Amino acid sequence: MDSSNDEALDIIITNVVATFRVRCHLNLRTIALEGNNVIYKPDCGKVLMKLRKPKITASIWSSGKIICTGATSEDDAKLGARRLARVLQKLGFRVRFSAFKVVNVLAVCSMPFSIALIDFTMNNRPIASYEPELHPAATYRIKHIKATVQVFSTGSITVTGPNVQTVATAVEQVYPLLFECRKPLRK
Amino acid sequence: MSASVTRCPGCGSSNIVDDDLYCQAQRVCVDCGSVVSEGVLTEDWTGHTEISYSRTTAVARKPCLNLIKGLQRVKAICRILRVNNEIEKHSQTYYTQAYQHEAFIRVSLQKKEVLAGCCVLVSCRLLNWPITMGTISCLLDADPVVVGAVYQEMIKILNIKAPVFIINDVMEAHSQEYKISSLHVPEELAENSRDLTKRAVALVELAADTWIVTGRHPTPIMMASIYLSWQSLKPNKHRLKLTLDKFCQMAKVNKLKPAMKRIAEMKEVLCKLGREIPWVREEVTPDNVMQQVEDILNYRFALLRRALRTHEETLQAESEASGEDSLPEEAASSQVSEHGEQNSNAPTAEEYELNAKSAQRPRDGNDDPHTEPEGNTGGGESQAPAPNWGKRVLFAPPCVVHPKRRRVERPECKDVTGDEEISDSEIDSYIRTPREAREFAQTQKMLSESEKT
Repeated sequence: MDSSNDEALDIIITNVVATFRVRCHLNLRTIALEGNNVIYKPDCGKVLMKLRKPKITASIWSSGKIICTGATSEDDAKLGARRLARVLQKLGFRVRFSAFKVVNVLAVCSMPFSIALIDFTMNNRPIASYEPELHPAATYRIKHIKATVQVFSTGSITVTGPNVQTVATAVEQVYPLLFECRKPLRK
Repeated sequence: MSASVTRCPGCGSSNIVDDDLYCQAQRVCVDCGSVVSEGVLTEDWTGHTEISYSRTTAVARKPCLNLIKGLQRVKAICRILRVNNEIEKHSQTYYTQAYQHEAFIRVSLQKKEVLAGCCVLVSCRLLNWPITMGTISCLLDADPVVVGAVYQEMIKILNIKAPVFIINDVMEAHSQEYKISSLHVPEELAENSRDLTKRAVALVELAADTWIVTGRHPTPIMMASIYLSWQSLKPNKHRLKLTLDKFCQMAKVNKLKPAMKRIAEMKEVLCKLGREIPWVREEVTPDNVMQQVEDILNYRFALLRRALRTHEETLQAESEASGEDSLPEEAASSQVSEHGEQNSNAPTAEEYELNAKSAQRPRDGNDDPHTEPEGNTGGGESQAPAPNWGKRVLFAPPCVVHPKRRRVERPECKDVTGDEEISDSEIDSYIRTPREAREFAQTQKMLSESEKT
C-alpha cells in the first residue's frame, strides 16, 4: 500500500517537551531578579524563563529540575536546555547538566482525504474511541509504543508519543486504517 | 504451659490447679496458695497487619450504605427516563462492579452520582435505547465534561465495548422535547410530531452523507434539522420569517449557538442539490430552497449522484480548457467511486422517476441540467498542484473547505545537533547587568510600597 501512495506524508513536529536536572539548589528570587525574560510564579513555586533562539519556555524549580517546552525537534530541545544551563551557570549557580530526557513529542499530519470517523471507530474497537458529544476527534491509543493518535474527520491527525521515532511508527501504523475508512459515510 | 511442674516450690505439695486470673493463665498451689507459674498477660507485638476497626467489631459484613443509595439513584434515573427492566438491571450490575473498583471506591459522593448516570447511559447504549450525554448531564445537574471523563474511565475499567453514538437513533427522542404540536401553539405554526421527526431524520441522514455531522456535537445538528424540517413542511412566509431564536422560544427549548452555523451549512447543501432538480427553472438560493426541500429529500440519492456527475464534468471541462493533465479527473473519479456507484450507465428507479416527473412539467425544450460550477474550483487549479483538495470535491467537511490560515512556517534549522558551542555573548543577553538588577529591585520596592499605601 505504501508503494501506491506517491505523495509523502509531511509529519510536522509542533512541540517537544524535555526535562533535565542541574544537580544544585536554585534560588528562584535571584533568577527572577537578575535574569531577563523571566516570570516569577511564587504561588506555583517556579520561574518561567523564555529563550529566544530556539523558541523555548522553561519551568525552573528550586530543586534544580527543569522542564523545557516549545522546541520543534529533539536536538533543538537539547540545545535549548544546554543554553538554559549556561544562563544559570552565569548567574552564579554551580550547575551540572544531567539527566536530559525527551518526555513528550507532539506532531501533526494531514491526510489528503476525509475520514469517516464512525466507520473508523467500528473497525478498530476497542483501541479506537469516538464520542462526538465530548471531542470532535476519534482517539486511537497504541499501547505497546505508548502513542495516542487523534483522528479528525477533515483528515488531520495529531500524534503524541514519548519520542520522534515512536511518532513516526504510530503514523505508519495508523495510515492503512485511515486509508480504508476514507470513503464518506454511505448506507 | 508445661505440665511438668507438679510440685509447689513453696510447700512442696503436688496439688496444683489451673486457676486463671481473668485472662492470665495461672497455676496455683491449693495448699499454700502461691502461684507456681503464670502465662503472659499480653501478646508481644509481632508486627501483625493492621485490622480495621470495622473488621474487628463487625459481626457480619454489612453492605455499604452509599452503595445501596447509589443503586437506588440508578433505579430512580431509570424510572425517570422510563427505560425497560433489562436496562435497569444492567445498570445496577455495572454500578455495583464499578463502585467496588479501586478507581471509584474512594471518590466523592458527587462523582459516585455521576457514575450512576454513566452506568445508565452505557446500558441504554448497549441495549439500543439511545440517549445523549447531554440528557444525563441535565438529569444529574453535572458538568458534561465531568460526566464524559467518568464515562470514559468507567468504560475502560469495566472493559465495555459500547456502540458508537449514532445521531439518527437519538433524533426521535430529541424531537419529543419540542413543544410544537397543536396543543401548544397556534394551528398555523403547529406540526405533527411524527411528520416532523421523519423529515428531520431524512435531513440528518443527508447531512451525514455530506460531511456536516462527522466530528460535530450532535445536538445543534438535531436542532437545525428540526427547525428546517418545520419550516419546509409548510414553507409559507410566516414560517420562513421566524428566526431560530423565536422558534426555540415557541418550542420551549434552549437555543444552541452552533445551530445557526449548521442551518447555514445544511441550506448550502440543499441548494447544491436543489440546482440538480430538472424541473426547477429559477435560481436556487438559500432563501427559496425551502420550497424544494420535500423533493430534494425524496430524491436525494439521485440528486447526489447527479450533483457529483455534474461536478466531475465541470472539472473535466475546466481542465481541458486550461490544458492541464488529469489530476482533477483523478480526484473527481475517486469521488464518484467513493460513492460506490457503477459507472453511471445504469440509472436507478429514482432517476427514472426524476426524468419522468421532469417530462411532465412544462419545459422550454432545454435539455441540459443546470451546470453551474461548484464552489471555487477554477481558481485553485492554475496554481501549485494540490492547493486544497477540499475545494476540488463537491462535499467536504466544512473545515477543509474554509481552512484556517496556516501559521508561517519557521525556517527549519536542519543542522542543529544539540551539542554545539554556545557563545558567551548570547548567554549574556539573558542576564541583567548589575545596574539593571538594582534598578529593577528598586522599582519593585517602590511599587509594593505604593500598593500598601
